[in-house]
Amino acid sequence: MATIVEALNLRKVYMLGKVPVEALRGVNLKVEEGEFLSVLGPSGSGKSTLLNLIGALDKPTEGKIFIEGVDVSTLNDGQLADLRRRIGFVFQFFNLIPRFTARQNVELPMAIAGLGKEERRRRAEELLKVVGLAERMNHKPAELSGGEQQRVAIARALANNPRFLLMDEPTGNIDSKNAMEIIQLVERLNQEKGITIIMVTHDQRLASEANRTVHMLDGLIVNETANKP
Amino acid sequence: MKLTDIFSYAFSAIKLRKLRAGLTTLGVVIGIAAIVALLSITQGLQVAIASQLQRGFATDTLIVTARSESGFKLLVNDTQIIEEVGSGNVTVSVAVILRTGYIKNLENQTSRVTIVGVDYAKYREIYSSTFAAEEGTIPQNPENSSVVVGKRVSDPWNNGTFFCRVSETVTIIWTSRPLKNETYTGTVVAVLQEVGGFSFGGPSDTSIYIPITQAQGFFGTDECEMIIVKLKNADEATIDSTAKAIREAFGGQVTVTSSTAILNVISSVFSTIELFLGGIAAISLLVAGIGIMNIMIVSMMERTREIGILKALGMKNRQVLLIFLSEAVIIGLLGAVIGVGAGWGIAQVTVRVFSTGGSFGGGIRQTNQATLANGITISPVLTPTVLFGAIAFGLIVSVLFGLYPAWRASKLKPVEALRYE
Repeated sequence: MATIVEALNLRKVYMLGKVPVEALRGVNLKVEEGEFLSVLGPSGSGKSTLLNLIGALDKPTEGKIFIEGVDVSTLNDGQLADLRRRIGFVFQFFNLIPRFTARQNVELPMAIAGLGKEERRRRAEELLKVVGLAERMNHKPAELSGGEQQRVAIARALANNPRFLLMDEPTGNIDSKNAMEIIQLVERLNQEKGITIIMVTHDQRLASEANRTVHMLDGLIVNETANKP
Repeated sequence: MKLTDIFSYAFSAIKLRKLRAGLTTLGVVIGIAAIVALLSITQGLQVAIASQLQRGFATDTLIVTARSESGFKLLVNDTQIIEEVGSGNVTVSVAVILRTGYIKNLENQTSRVTIVGVDYAKYREIYSSTFAAEEGTIPQNPENSSVVVGKRVSDPWNNGTFFCRVSETVTIIWTSRPLKNETYTGTVVAVLQEVGGFSFGGPSDTSIYIPITQAQGFFGTDECEMIIVKLKNADEATIDSTAKAIREAFGGQVTVTSSTAILNVISSVFSTIELFLGGIAAISLLVAGIGIMNIMIVSMMERTREIGILKALGMKNRQVLLIFLSEAVIIGLLGAVIGVGAGWGIAQVTVRVFSTGGSFGGGIRQTNQATLANGITISPVLTPTVLFGAIAFGLIVSVLFGLYPAWRASKLKPVEALRYE
């Protein structure tokens, strides 16, 4: 199995006003293709920072991060944008564009990648079917429940056939029943479609749904556990 | 991302803030409309005046007048001197005596006119198209009592209520020094065709023409106000050399003016006016540009998170820049197109409001004397230069002022933008 993400002694220092804050203090991580990895830790442990670095949204202060063997820190803005097209993001607050319908939201990354209208539409409808929203695709986010919005976000994340999905507290804003459904959807995507998933959460129960869990505390990975196969 | 997708994305963002975008567009509309209205009216006026001048002026003529400050007077038979010095270049010259006086018709109504004493045949030779009879004939060897009248003298209100007509008897009145009314009775032999607005030396609608010898006797003078010289051709070298020869012959006591020079001066005056008015209007467009910049900065701040999302989805800086620039361009283009239409409308309305009965400057004078004012009709002119220039200017302003906000939007860091509340 190929290594899809590799972090080497990753450090990230933020300036909070004039005070430097060390969010990551030397993280080493390897993610294999087809894995479902959860990153568990309390808030402030640096797990979101790690996710941003893996997602090429940010650059490390020190250390290296390889995505499919490419050192992210050597890329310019344009190359980073290209890289992000091959990564699917799912955010805690969904981050859908409110003025667009569910279908238009799913089409957006494909439009950015330069796909034609027909193809975009066909694929968006297909993806919304996969996440179980075929009936709601012409609704705007405000007309959808939190769980439904997150499904749209997942469909959007899958739009450009990403190498892996990055999920930042994907159920953090959803009631527990819907959260369970989301997790089942994520598991299904991982098992049936073989999509690599990296999920950040502070929810122990949710984290244990993944194949493997890394535990973070104060900017370091402190423990690693293998869950059910 | 395809350009059409960029535009439709930008459009969806504009639609979201209709009122705000509408007001910003209105700013551009006002700026462009002001430019278009002012320029099309000015150009219309220029065209109208130039066409009037070209009818009233003959471009192959020189006008010789005495320099007023020297007290020097031109005499009627100075035409001989001019024809001598300008031999070869001068085909004919004619002395013109001008007085202001009155003409009285059969019903004892009087009308104020310019009395022009001139040699009919020579004058006709110079102004063949304008010193032409509409009614009657201009005699080659006129009787002393013959009178040629301008169109507005005969038909002052342009409605068929005639003041005087061909073969009617009229009395011409002139007040001499010491104040004494000189009169004589003449017969209208011809009514001129309508000439239009201005003339300088040439025939006018509000003048009456009497033979030069009659004028000399009537006004008791051999002095004339001007001598009009017709040249063989209108090229610059002929004009310059002849003018110089005439000036020298009179020891620099006369001014020689060429019609072409006057036309050039007028057209350069108009260019200056146009530039000035266009400049004022352009300022309002700059204000509109600042409006665009303002709305774009606000929009950029409001949509920081959206920009973060777009970047997380793989949008490049250049594409973010293009989206924001497109929004500015859509507003600018829309404003420019509406502005051109509105400006054109304003120009049309303005021209109608300021002119009475379709003529400019020809207001009605309420007296019992005939209204002899000439009207010139102006219609706004929208040249392709102004049309496309205004639209291009609107676009340039919107791009220029949209550039900074768009650039700032494109430079947002994705992580920070996503965290923005």
